[in-house]
Amino acid sequence: MQWIQLGYLLPLIIVGSGAVFLMLLSPLERLSMERFSLLTFLILLSALSSNFYHFGELFTSFPMKEIFSKMLIVDSYSVYFDALILSGALVTSLIGTHYFQTKRHFKKEFFSLFLFSVFGMMLLVHANELLTAFIALEIASLALYVMIGFQKIHDKRVEASYQYLVLGSISGAFFLLGTAFIYAGLGTTILGDIGKTLDMLIGKDVSLIVIGGMFVLVTFLFKISAFPFQNWTIDVYDGSPLPVTAFMAATFKVAIFGFVLRLMLIDLDPIRDMWDTLFIVVIIATLLYGTFLAVIQESLKRMLAASSIVHTGYLLIAFVSIGYAGESASSSIIYYLIAYFLSSMGAFGLISYIAADEHIRVTYEDFRGFAHVHPYMAAMLSIFMLSLAGIPSTIGFVGKFYIFTGAIEAGYTSLAVCGIIATFISIYYYFKLIALMYFYPACDAEWDDVPSLRGITPITIGIIAIAVIWGGIGNTFIAYFPGVDFLIDTARLSYMSLFIK
Amino acid sequence: MSIGILSIIIFLPMLTAFVAMLLPLNSRATRNVAFMVSLTIFALALYVYTHFELTGAIQFQENYAWIKSYGISYSLGIDGFSLIILMLIATLIPSAYLLLWKNERSKSYWISMLFIQTGISGTLFSLDLFLFYFFWEAMLLPVFMIIGLFGSGNRVFSTLKITIYTIMGSLFMFVSILYLGVAHYYEFGMWSFALSDLVNITTIAREQKVLLFFGFMLAFAIKIPLFPFHSWLLQTYSNSPTGGVFLLSSIMAKLGVYALVRFMIPLFPELFVEFSVYFVALGIFGLVYFGIAAISQLNIKKMFAYSSASHLGLITAGIFALNVQGMMGSAFLIVAHAIATGGLFLLVGVMERHLGIRSLSGLGGIAGRAPWFTLFFAIMLFCTVGIPGTNGFVAELLIVLGIFHYNPYLGVLSALTVLVAASYMFWVFQKAVLVKSDNNVSNMQDLSLHEILGLLPLAVLIIAMGVYPDFFLYKIEPSLQHYLIDILHVGVK
Repeated sequence: MQWIQLGYLLPLIIVGSGAVFLMLLSPLERLSMERFSLLTFLILLSALSSNFYHFGELFTSFPMKEIFSKMLIVDSYSVYFDALILSGALVTSLIGTHYFQTKRHFKKEFFSLFLFSVFGMMLLVHANELLTAFIALEIASLALYVMIGFQKIHDKRVEASYQYLVLGSISGAFFLLGTAFIYAGLGTTILGDIGKTLDMLIGKDVSLIVIGGMFVLVTFLFKISAFPFQNWTIDVYDGSPLPVTAFMAATFKVAIFGFVLRLMLIDLDPIRDMWDTLFIVVIIATLLYGTFLAVIQESLKRMLAASSIVHTGYLLIAFVSIGYAGESASSSIIYYLIAYFLSSMGAFGLISYIAADEHIRVTYEDFRGFAHVHPYMAAMLSIFMLSLAGIPSTIGFVGKFYIFTGAIEAGYTSLAVCGIIATFISIYYYFKLIALMYFYPACDAEWDDVPSLRGITPITIGIIAIAVIWGGIGNTFIAYFPGVDFLIDTARLSYMSLFIK
Repeated sequence: MSIGILSIIIFLPMLTAFVAMLLPLNSRATRNVAFMVSLTIFALALYVYTHFELTGAIQFQENYAWIKSYGISYSLGIDGFSLIILMLIATLIPSAYLLLWKNERSKSYWISMLFIQTGISGTLFSLDLFLFYFFWEAMLLPVFMIIGLFGSGNRVFSTLKITIYTIMGSLFMFVSILYLGVAHYYEFGMWSFALSDLVNITTIAREQKVLLFFGFMLAFAIKIPLFPFHSWLLQTYSNSPTGGVFLLSSIMAKLGVYALVRFMIPLFPELFVEFSVYFVALGIFGLVYFGIAAISQLNIKKMFAYSSASHLGLITAGIFALNVQGMMGSAFLIVAHAIATGGLFLLVGVMERHLGIRSLSGLGGIAGRAPWFTLFFAIMLFCTVGIPGTNGFVAELLIVLGIFHYNPYLGVLSALTVLVAASYMFWVFQKAVLVKSDNNVSNMQDLSLHEILGLLPLAVLIIAMGVYPDFFLYKIEPSLQHYLIDILHVGVK
């Protein structure tokens, strides 16, 4: 009867075997890049649809407990995150279509790596054990390292790839070390058991676990590019091909938060308070430094990379609030991840669509007068900027509302104020682009090589833009159509499933 | 679910704007449609006005759940104070369209104007603080567009400046709103952002309350603008197109004052009373400061910008005077100032279109070339200065009386400072319009029929409200008494 439980893991299996399948197919000459792109899309789509079988249900299960012990968990929470990661991958593959078609240096293996990376991320949110999580993290990261450096004649790519590889591996080593400490202290690496054992140790010396947890958190902070581990972000994001940047910025962050939230909420709960002060310092520094970096950037891509550090800061605000306002804070993280995912995916995707190559149309100045030549693209880009800036009627606003409410509820009003200040400085660097696009006359001829609004990529981006608006105003006015309430409710549901014993 | 009249007033312009955006209309057609919409809204506003009952209660309510998990609702309603501003907007916008008739030849200009009207009405009707904030911010984007696209000079910089400034203010208000929402959740165990629920909160300590008070105050003070939050004012006004300045000075600034009454008084009644003396003083200081600043300007637009801010100081002082004269006077001055300043800015826009110069030293002898222009300019000017027979006089008299009741010394001061406006306004009138000079103003043409039609209702209102004020303000009195007696417990002296 064990095998029936495999149904729970179906999305994971589809993506994993799809990756292997594509790898096997890649030497075939007859299959073109377009076909591969389509295949990737279909694999992701089938995984996503199989995932929706359990969506909206409140449950927890450990499939094949005898074989895997409790290494893997499937609950509403992981299903929710799977849906996020898979949609992220789906959107990346759709947005990337145009990019991969025009940039001929990509080989077919790229798609296999891409699926492996998705597989790693999904495994990460299903991981119920620290070592599994480490392996999942490495699968996801290793694939990413190669994806970044795929264009091997381009120095910037190779440098970014190496920088990420070396730094990422070091941070991975910290994770392992932390796991070792936790195992030494508690004799288990299974989530859930860690929490139970820790509960029994209350009042005794838990410094080993504190140190171990600290090391694990270092990896976490590194991967989400929080201060003081943010230095790689701009270079790596800037050096990566744009669809890969979008994938890293939005989807990878989702997966990392997916795992760490689980770890923090269930297991390190008894000793989480110890890090609160540290986190407050980290948040303020992240917000400050990220804002500073974003303000000084000339290139749009680098600005978006730097602003992703600021968004990490917002997410961390909700992260510290968890201790006092668990439910609203953690579901606000989940909601904000969706909001950030949509807006940044749209922004990165559209820029990658517009940018002809790596040398033109990457800076603010290149977008002077853009709106008068391509009004629809400019409108979409503005929507994404407004959402990132958190202006009402976009999903980014609701996301910020949610995070700051959680922070105030937890008593961190001063952190909310810090976030607000960062937000209002961010108006400058987001609105600068809108101002440049709209308020200057267009210079002719410069825009001839911008592709027109045809094909899959613009349609996807258009749908994302609509989703961004809908996420900001949507509600139950249209019956049976998911609005803000739906997203908040599902986020809460997935949070609740964490506590089913 | 049925759609109420207030929702129609809010969303009709927005829908029209969307339709106009998608259809291949040219700018003329868009303008005509926008004008028709504004007339429709005027008719709807008249309906609301005539059906408005003489109570201090909130009427024409609409209430639908929006984001249920946080108790955020789409709830609208008006009381006497919002009613008068609604009437003001409904009258002013068609007039402005008539004056901008030939000025603006771009479709996006009219579309932005339509969007702004949506934002303004939404702000005016919101009873839920989240909704209020939503519209308050959304109102900013079309203004951002109008200044940035159609402004002059260093328009991009001034656009970014006003955007960052106002958003800074509103974000602090946002934190305060969230704080109130959370406090409500802690006290009553459920989420709500409705004003009527938030006023029941009792658990917030005084120190927090003071911070919240100033969080709100910052947003409103920047919008008004109150001294010392005015530094966006000069640049924005001088770089904005006529329509933009008109909206900023006669409508958006009023929304700042409106929000002060509508939200600050119910939410923080005791702090409102406690801090009133500072704000009366600040208002009067602004009156003097901006008045003096206006004297030293040679650029007519900048001068009127300062004069506008100066009067807004007086309005604020009247609001904080805590008696029915002051508040009534402020309500009156809101209307009078909106009409007069709006009219003046529109006239300056006409002048700008014909002559292209805005410096006082380059003007003179317009009266000979443009008698209609002179007539309307004079009426608006008299109203601003507060000549008896105009509504400006009634308003200033009431406010000065109110402040006098509040504090005799401040009253005397405010009475004296009303003179400041007179000095520079008459100087402008004499120098730019009456006295002939060597400057060439031969390009100046008289107002066209459109423009005369646009200004006529404003001029008539100025005189009519000056001669028979009671007729126009009896609807607002119950609301004001509600604010003063029921909420502030200060009574009618």
